[in-house]
Amino acid sequence: MTDSALATPPSTVAPKITVRDLHFHYGDFHAIKGIDMDIPAKQVTAIIGPSGCGKSTLLRIFNQIYAIYPKQFATGVIEMDGQNILDPRYSMNRLRSKVGMVFQKPVPFPMTIFENVAYGIRHHEKLSRKEIEARVERALRSAALWDEVKDKLRKSALGLSGGQQQRLCIARAIALKPEVLLLDEPTSALDPIATSRIEQLVEELKSQFTIVMVTHNMQQAARVSDQTAFMYLGELIEFDQTEKIFTKPGKKQTEDYITGRFG
Amino acid sequence: MNTGTDHIIKSYDSELTRLTGEIVRMGELAVTQLEGAIDVLERRDERAARRVVDNDEAIDQLEQEIGHDVVRLLALRAPMAGDLRNVYAALRIASDIERIGDYAANVAKRSIPLSMVAPVAPVGGLQQLSRLAASEVRAVLVAYRDRDAEGAYQVWKDDVVLDEAYTGYFRQLLTYMMEDPRNITPCTHLLFMAKNIERIGDHATNIAENIWFQVNGEPLNKQRSKGDLTSSPEITKLGE
Repeated sequence: MTDSALATPPSTVAPKITVRDLHFHYGDFHAIKGIDMDIPAKQVTAIIGPSGCGKSTLLRIFNQIYAIYPKQFATGVIEMDGQNILDPRYSMNRLRSKVGMVFQKPVPFPMTIFENVAYGIRHHEKLSRKEIEARVERALRSAALWDEVKDKLRKSALGLSGGQQQRLCIARAIALKPEVLLLDEPTSALDPIATSRIEQLVEELKSQFTIVMVTHNMQQAARVSDQTAFMYLGELIEFDQTEKIFTKPGKKQTEDYITGRFG
Repeated sequence: MNTGTDHIIKSYDSELTRLTGEIVRMGELAVTQLEGAIDVLERRDERAARRVVDNDEAIDQLEQEIGHDVVRLLALRAPMAGDLRNVYAALRIASDIERIGDYAANVAKRSIPLSMVAPVAPVGGLQQLSRLAASEVRAVLVAYRDRDAEGAYQVWKDDVVLDEAYTGYFRQLLTYMMEDPRNITPCTHLLFMAKNIERIGDHATNIAENIWFQVNGEPLNKQRSKGDLTSSPEITKLGE
């Protein structure tokens, strides 16, 4: 299989993000070694692979978090809606409003539940108090958190459970109406029930967002994603429909990894 | 599919190996039952026939054990990819072997009324059929043990030989029955026995299809000629 064949999973959906010959360096360390992939719009794409394979790095390139660190740089092309986000002329503010990110550990701001969601909206848009309240409510409802917090919006977010905090972080991300949602191991710090809630949420959110999720949990990738990418040592080994990856992967390395044979 | 590398968790490997062993053991038992059924027919040994019928219980028991192991593996190991196909195929193959065991027991059961009437000539044809069926089942078990998709495909293709032999035997029995109505009772028993043996071949081809899927991850979609013509309207002419 050639790299260009790898890049496109047999999906009929138009790509939201097109990655071509992407490389990434942490100083001298070559972390991503020439990746090509098309991430379909409004679907869930899971990225799996052992620690250090570059999956979180890839996710971080999609919203350029690395830009705040010196000596880290990406080369290649990442087109989002036809525009190269790696082009220095591409506005970082624009990127951040298009791409929301949720991390492994829930990181609510040390403020009220309401302010956690409203903070970002105020930063990006000038809205009336009423409009902001409506946006916060909508975001909390979308994140399936509203019913649990509607009576304590003015209380500190730090008093919420881990699962609630993570859904708050998702609400905070989607309040900005992004187009792409990046989830970096969003449930690895959560119990199974909170995990199921997040997975259900991901399923509901994919009608509105293009979701890219890094996960260590293969069953989770199998449960929630439409396509799965397997990465190893900075390379994209295989990228295909999730069903195919978990029933009949095309590469031995993928098979060994998902069946627990990786030595 | 076994990629040649062991699982990081060793007990997972031993559970999968155990499953394969159970299937092979169950299959060997079924072949022994088939051979036993023909043997008691030849010897007209009613008591031995009842033993064969009773032995079917052991095959059913093994099928239950395999079912239990499969559910356990699915629940506790959450097998993926080749492992998943392996476990899925084991469950399906076990149910085919269970049917083969049933057919062998049926053949033994029908040998009891046959042993109570005067011997009829065409019994020999049944032996030939059962030899074909037994070697088919043996070959498919070897293919299963070796994860040999091509070997399985060969068995699948060769089932036509058994089908043709069955059609020929069917024709022979019709001739006997037309010749002398006193042959009708024993020959009807032989007809049912022959059909059972022909069905054993069909289950061997099912097993072959499952091996193919287990190894290749796709169904065995090939054309095969059908040798069993006994349901075609032409068959009435065969006895003429």
